[in-house]
Amino acid sequence: MAHVTGVQYEPVAEIGGGAYGTVYKARDLESGQFVALKSVRVQTDQNGLPVSTVREVALLKRLEQFDHPNVVRLMDVCATQRSDQETKVTLVFEHVDQDLKTYLEKAPAPGLSPGRIQDLMRQLLCGVSFLHSNRVLHRDLKPENILVTSQGQVKLADFGLARIYSCHMALTPVVVTLWYRPPEVLLQSSYATPVDIWSTGCIFAEMFRRKPLFCGESEVDQLGKLFEVIGLPPEDEWPTDVTLSRKHFPPLLPRPITDFVPEINEQGAQLLLKMLTFDPLKRISALNALEHPYFQDEETLT
Amino acid sequence: MAKTGFCDSKPLLDLHKKADERRAPLRTWSNACGPIERWQPVEVDESRMAPVKMEPEHRWERRLSAQTSEGILMGFHEDSFTHSAADGCVEEEEEPVLLYPHGLQGLPSLQALVPSLLRHEVETALEKLDLIWDRAYAWDMFLDMARTQTRNSFPTADLPRHFTDLTRSVLVDWLIQVHELMHFQEETLYLAIHLVNRSLRAIKITTVNLQLLGMVCLFLAAKMEECLLPEVSGLCFLMDHTYTKHQLLRMERKVLLGLKFDLSYCPPLHFLLLLASVARCSAKAVWMARYLLELSLLEGQCVLFLPVQLAGAALCVSRQVLQEPSTPGGEAAWCLASSVHVGSETALLRIMHILANAAAKAHTRETCASFIKFSSPETMQVSRHAGLKNAPGLLGVCT
Repeated sequence: MAHVTGVQYEPVAEIGGGAYGTVYKARDLESGQFVALKSVRVQTDQNGLPVSTVREVALLKRLEQFDHPNVVRLMDVCATQRSDQETKVTLVFEHVDQDLKTYLEKAPAPGLSPGRIQDLMRQLLCGVSFLHSNRVLHRDLKPENILVTSQGQVKLADFGLARIYSCHMALTPVVVTLWYRPPEVLLQSSYATPVDIWSTGCIFAEMFRRKPLFCGESEVDQLGKLFEVIGLPPEDEWPTDVTLSRKHFPPLLPRPITDFVPEINEQGAQLLLKMLTFDPLKRISALNALEHPYFQDEETLT
Repeated sequence: MAKTGFCDSKPLLDLHKKADERRAPLRTWSNACGPIERWQPVEVDESRMAPVKMEPEHRWERRLSAQTSEGILMGFHEDSFTHSAADGCVEEEEEPVLLYPHGLQGLPSLQALVPSLLRHEVETALEKLDLIWDRAYAWDMFLDMARTQTRNSFPTADLPRHFTDLTRSVLVDWLIQVHELMHFQEETLYLAIHLVNRSLRAIKITTVNLQLLGMVCLFLAAKMEECLLPEVSGLCFLMDHTYTKHQLLRMERKVLLGLKFDLSYCPPLHFLLLLASVARCSAKAVWMARYLLELSLLEGQCVLFLPVQLAGAALCVSRQVLQEPSTPGGEAAWCLASSVHVGSETALLRIMHILANAAAKAHTRETCASFIKFSSPETMQVSRHAGLKNAPGLLGVCT
């Protein structure tokens, strides 16, 4: 039986607020370990707990069974009724002190070694591939919700926006943080698993650069920034179901990716370009990315 | 869910041409527990290799599959699949088999062929059943199904003392009727009964609240599976207002907490449709198996078995009862499908006996919702098939 949150977990500090609720760092009074509490206030109507909550929590529980090394552990789920109209569902996750953003900031002067980046990328793609094979889109991949343990293990976190993927589902237009958003989301076209690959590509570049690759200020600005690097896509690749016209952008040619990520090796640059492909259908999948020669190349380990 | 396409009689590559010679090796392969000779060195090598050498996405899978000791997939080694993903490989490996169609010489090559062929067939079937959305992940998904289901059986068939198997079957029978009335998907029924089985063991339920529990489990299953949900007031109406809406919602929370929100389930139905698709079963054989599988929900003993075993047994009984004329292609396809479900021969026979007995008596029982449901023309009136009365006899059991 789940415990009442107030009793078993003692909040220590607020970690941050998200679209769905606040996250707290807390101590598990039974084990003494730190945990991350994510509370969601759910409006209940005459039909009880909403379908979305039931499905999402069940999905998290299902993913948990696989015990994947690159996904953050869900340790417990509690539900307390606050009133007839509101139930508080608390998800108890393992607590990892450091996210990738801090990890990159803390790395000493020349930045991470090529071998370290290769290892982080492999783990990151393993996690993404696991989610995708389970019909889950992360949809909000960014350095802030990629956790790195003190042993250097990567763990994907914050599935607040994850949903069981379904083609018929109405996908909300605003999901991925602007800088890591793929063109199809910026253009408000339809999207699927390739969204996470684009974001992963941006993060790949950021591991070398130690600053974000595309820092747009608006959707259009963001698109302009990414066309400066990958070039303006040909007419036939431009999605037909969008309002924004291709003519809106200057006819830019792709520039060598090494101009922006000079430290990357040749195989890495190839892989990065496959992840930062404009057409989501032509973008590499997580599974195929893991088989890319970049990961076979052991010289980067030295 | 589309119910068409399971029965197409597309030949199974070239395998069926020499079905007679191939049958024995296939059976041998499917029943062999240890690694296949040819693959053995590979297996040993790889398990000792440094993780760097391995394909990274398989690292954790291997570890997990080692824990799945049930042997659902006999002689099944993920390592042997790593090279044979593409369809092209199937064709490449075909040649050696055709060179040695007789005797044992062909055995290693055939054994090497079966896994890739099975993989190809399983992927195609999953695609046809609309259970996947990206073929690249089909095999992973199938392995997930095989792993997940091991959590779905129970160590004992014992219920809390104040419930008997009969009480439970009366509840299940009632839920089958409500489910039909609501026009829910079949998956919803299987999930609902699974939640009932778990709840009865996880939380304290009084006899008075048994019906309420059943309804809440069906409601939660619908929340997981259905697009359109019934109103809670409608559910209360179906229970003659024995319980209030408030009681129903309180029970919902109790069940969710008791089950810790873990509502995932791999229904035997998916394995049945998958196996039937690989085995190229006729439409009638599939309906018959679906009927038999639904009868398993009423049998308390059936909670002991894995979904894939229940599905396999239902198909076996279905084939025995219908006695459809066999074709070499059909036999080869069936052998290939058998290599998935043949876990323990004893378990399979036990389930087959339970199902055959249940089907023979179904029309005389009070709990006959499934019998009536499957006597309709839409279901090809399988429950009224004359052969079912003698089903236990067919299996060599007198009752």
